[in-house]
Parts: sequence; C-alpha cells; structure tokens
Amino acid sequence: MIKTLAQKELVSARRDKRFVLLGAIIVLLLAVAAVSGVVSYNQLSAERNLAQHAADHDFKSQPSRHPHRMAHYGSYAFRPKSSLSFFDFGLDTYTGTMVYLEAHQQNSANFSAVQQSGGLLRFGEMTVAFVLQWLIPLLIIFLTFNTFTQEKEQETLKVLLSQGLTVAQIANAKLQGYAKALSLIILPALLVASLFLLLANGLSIDAGFLLRLLLFLTAYLVYFFIFLAGSILISALNQHSRSALLLLLGIWITACVIMPKVTANLGSLLYQTPSKAEMDATVHHAASHGMNGHDPQDKRTAAFTKALLAKYKVDSVSQLPVNVDGLVMAEGEAYSSKVYAQEFDKLANTYHQQSNVSEWAGLLNPYLAIRYTSMALAGTDAAHYVHFLKAAEDYRYRLAQHLNHLQATKLKYHDKETRLDNSHWKNYPAFSYREPSVGWALGSHLVSVVALLLWGGLLYFFFTRLITRYFTL
Amino acid sequence: MAFVLEAKNLSKNYQEKQALKPLNLQLQPGEIYSLLGPNGAGKSTTINLFLGFIEPTGGMALINNLEVAKHPVEIKKHLAYIPEQVVLYPNLSGFENLSLLSSLAGFDYRADTLNDFLIRSGLPSEAINKRTGAYSKGMRQKVGIAAALAKRAKVLLLDEPTSGLDPKASNEFSELLLQLSAEGTAVFMATHDIFRAREVSSRIGIMKAGELVHELSSGELDAYELEKLYLNYMHD
Repeated sequence: MIKTLAQKELVSARRDKRFVLLGAIIVLLLAVAAVSGVVSYNQLSAERNLAQHAADHDFKSQPSRHPHRMAHYGSYAFRPKSSLSFFDFGLDTYTGTMVYLEAHQQNSANFSAVQQSGGLLRFGEMTVAFVLQWLIPLLIIFLTFNTFTQEKEQETLKVLLSQGLTVAQIANAKLQGYAKALSLIILPALLVASLFLLLANGLSIDAGFLLRLLLFLTAYLVYFFIFLAGSILISALNQHSRSALLLLLGIWITACVIMPKVTANLGSLLYQTPSKAEMDATVHHAASHGMNGHDPQDKRTAAFTKALLAKYKVDSVSQLPVNVDGLVMAEGEAYSSKVYAQEFDKLANTYHQQSNVSEWAGLLNPYLAIRYTSMALAGTDAAHYVHFLKAAEDYRYRLAQHLNHLQATKLKYHDKETRLDNSHWKNYPAFSYREPSVGWALGSHLVSVVALLLWGGLLYFFFTRLITRYFTL
Repeated sequence: MAFVLEAKNLSKNYQEKQALKPLNLQLQPGEIYSLLGPNGAGKSTTINLFLGFIEPTGGMALINNLEVAKHPVEIKKHLAYIPEQVVLYPNLSGFENLSLLSSLAGFDYRADTLNDFLIRSGLPSEAINKRTGAYSKGMRQKVGIAAALAKRAKVLLLDEPTSGLDPKASNEFSELLLQLSAEGTAVFMATHDIFRAREVSSRIGIMKAGELVHELSSGELDAYELEKLYLNYMHD
C-alpha cells in the first residue's frame, strides 16, 4: 500500500508544474554553480601550483650566498586548493592563500579572494553548497508544505483513510514518494557535479578523496531528509496550507538566515580576537622580554653563550668550534617560534570558541550542522586553514633552523662575507602540504556531525510516532 | 437479519457542545438511508463516527458487526466513502485515480476491469484517461462511485452527494445508487436534497441540533409533504 501511494506521490510531483519549474531552476543553478566552481578551482589550483613552483624555483636558483641572506630571502607557501573545495568554498574566499616564509618572522597568510576582487563577492557566491544548503530546503518546503493540508482541505485524505490506510502509512508513503521525486533532481545534479570534480582532478581518485566525497554526499542526504521529514511533519500537524507554509518559511529564514548571523556575532562578542598588530606586538614583546616578562633577550643570549663556553671549556666565543652567531640565532628562532606558537594556539583557540557557539547551535539548527560538516569535508573550514598555517610555520621554522645550522657549522664567528655553495638550498625539500585525514576533519567538528546525525535519527525515529500522536483531520 | 451499519447510543460531544445526541440506527444490506438536516445538525459528525475519523463520546458505531473504534482499519474494507466535494488527485487521470484507490483497498484489477467500473459508473469513455483536474463535480463523483464498485463495499457513506450537481447529473447519480442498492450495497447518505432523498431512499431521518427527531419510510409521504414536515421541524 505504501509503495502504491508513494508511486502516486512521485507521479503527482512529476506532473506538478511547481516541481518541474523549481526543479529546472535548481538543476540550472547547480549546473551554474558546478561550472563556475570547476572553473574557479582549476584556475586557482593552476595559479597556486604555478606560483609555488616559481617560488621554489627562485629559492633553489639562488646563487652561492651567506646562509643568513638566504634566511631573509625566504620562500613562499601557497595553500593548495582542496579537491572538494569545488563544492563548498567555505572560508576559502576570505582566508589568505599565501604565507611569506622568512627567518625570525611569522607572517600571516595574504591574498584572499575577497581582497583581490570587487566588493560584490562579499555578498556571497553561487556555489554548489549554497544551492544544497539554502535552495534545496526551499524547494522541499514549496513542494511539501501542503502535502497533508491540501488533502485535509480537499478531503482526499478522508478518501485515503477510508481505503483502510493509517495516517502513519500515508506519511511514510509521502516521505518515500517525495524522496524519489527529489532524487530525480538532486542525484543527477550531484553525480554530474562529482563528475566535474573528478575531471578537475584529472580523474585521479585516492581513498581519502573518495571517502570525503561519499561522506559529503551522505551528509547532504541526511540534511535533505531532515527538511523533507520536517516539512511533511509540519504539514501533517497543521490544518491549513497557508499556516504550514508560513511556519516552514519562518523556520527556513530563522535557520538559514537569522540564526547563523546571530550565533556568529555572539561568538565574536563573547570571544574577541586580537588584531594582527596586537598579536605581533605581543609576540615581539614576549620574544624580547621573555615569555614570563622577566627573562629579556639579552639576558637569555648571555646565559646561552655562557653555557656554551662552559660546555666547550673555552674562555671566548672566538675559541668555540662552532659559530656562536648561528647558534644564537637558532636559539632565538626557537624561542620566538615557541612564543608565536603559544600565541597562535591562543588565537586558534579563540577562533574555535567563536565557531563553537555556532556549532553547538547546530543542535537546534541543522543548517548550522551541515554548514560546518560540509566545510570540514570540503577542507575549507577554519580548522583546515589553521592546519595549513601551522604546516607553513613548521616548514618556515625548519628552513630557518637549517640555514642557522649551516651558519653555525660552516662559517666562522662574525664571518659575514663567506658564501656557501647553492647546493645547500638547492637540495632542500620544497614546501609540500598534505591535507589532513577525513577523520581529523570530522573530529574537528564532532558537535556538528553529531547534531546532524541526531536530527536525522530523531526525525527518522519520531516521524510517524509524532504524526500518529498529534494528527487531527 | 444482520445489520451492515448500526449505531448503538452513539454520541459525540465537543467540550460543552453535544454534536450528536445518543443515536440508534440500523441498516440492512441494500437499504438506502437519507439523513436530512440543516448545516450543523450532526449529519457529517455521524458519518465521521462511522468512518472512525473521530472517537465517539458514548455508545458505539458498528460496520458489518465490527465496532468502528476498536477496528478502525478493518471496518474500512467493508465501506466506501464519497465526500461532498469529491476531489480526486488532479494530476492523475480518472483511470489512474481509480487504480490507486482500488490498489490501496487491496485489489489488483486488470486495466479493462477498471475501465468497466468507470464506464458502469457513467464516466464518458473519452474522459477516462484525462487528468481529473479538468473533471466536473459529476464526473469526479462517478470516479468515486467506480471506486466504491471496485472496492465491493457493503456500505456506502455519502456526504451531501448531490450538492452542486446539475439535474441530469443528479438523476444519473440517483440511478447509480439504486443499482448499487439492488446489488445489496447499503447506502447511508447525509443530504439537504429532500426530493432526491424521497426518490431513492428506503428510509429517511430528520436530524436537528444533533438529535434524530423523526424517522420515516419514504413511501409514507410524498416529496411535498416531506418538505413540509422537514420545515416544521426546522421552524420549531
């Protein structure tokens, strides 16, 4: 019986002009978003690969130099585009893409898409995620708001009930029928978008990428189920189509428009981040005056030199078998990096606390839950951005220490003239960024993942129970 | 003889309001019973109680000797219902609507059998495969009758079936009811149409303010006298 009725819902939906029109618009928008996404992805990936290769080539092509000159010549780390960023640009548009790597200096990432574009980009972009997160729920609402109320108003529901069906059976049939109808729009669109994605990646598939893609699609299917079951539930529990539509649109506006802004503002208000200048000043102050404020740099250097002289049992730095300049610089680099790491962790923690406000709100609002889950799987969230910055800083530190080590071991004290052969940096491995695992990505947004599953699970479990309990003709 | 539809002290209250005062009623197979009364008299409440759409406050409704409140799904195998506005699924054809309804009732008819039901209920053959969104009320009602035929229902519940029908359609509908009655289907009909009720019914009840105030067999009075009796009750 459920199958027969579900088939009727499917046939009715397919013949419904609203469905055909809205479906065509959604498919068109998904196609536009997919094409613009793949174009943008290809362009940005190519630009960043080219820039990274050029930067690596420049660094490796430097002639014989003093290692400290090389430490200040520096290099660049470009953030590669995550494969799934094609679907969900997330924070990528607003976060920097390139970090200048030099000695003693932890630079922030620059050149975000917003910085390089006109102001219109700030109004949002047409991405696959935008269509999936905003527009498909609207399509679901417009298709299903009157699925029960219209049958109540026109009394066809009584005819169905008089055939011996229960309300729970009718509700399940509607859920199945509309799910099939929606899959006619969503599945081909997602498959085509996935195909674009594979083409953009040169048809290379690794397990991690495939897992992310499958989880990404699964997360959205759960999200659509939440809206579909929720809309049918509200239609069942309302007496009039108009009130069901108003309630559903109110929920959509609150969930997709108002609440994200409110929780984001609340997060910023509760957990304030320092400005770039403030953070630089803090790092500089801590590096020069000591992390505890009572251990200034000159005292640290003096103590370090004294310990070095004692270790090698000599009276002056010129008698040391190593170049104290390089060792002091390595020590200073280690200290300032430790200070920076501590301050950066505080900053990252503040970002985390800010987004936590929105993520916990995901328990009330599935839109927020899918938003963070989607960005996590696409690799375009704050956690991935911080992961890249840490990887770039780690590389910068290792490069600077490599050059300090060269200075300490290959040059004499106060030798500022000798140039080392360029093979020392020519053979140094270039910056290579590996995206974290999908487990790490989801672990960073466990609250959102749990919230999404909880919403889906609760609706699955209570859908027919609530309808049976509270339904009135 | 066994009753196919029965009310035993059946009543329904909505908070303080008594929508249906204790009602006792029995219908035998093939009987046509018309319930006359103004809007709000309790006619639709009575039908909804027999359909199991609302719970009785007191007494019981029985269909084919099964208590409706205790067997809400099983009793529906034995009855068919046609509301005042037969709104079928407008995106489906008459044939598809009938196919759906008979499938939901547990019947798996061949296409030609379904066509026969529609033809027998008086639907023009050229309309069978057209979407019902373009059907007149009379045509939709014929599909409703075809669904009742296909269901082989023992009881047919009708709520204001002739309201809005033109005289020709109304007459065709009456003929269909008489045919069904002749085949043993009991018909329980709430209506305002005194003349049609007089024409097709075996018995007629007059309901006012939730109470069955008068019951008579249709042969007792002619249409004019019935109208006079009805109006007398309404003016009391």
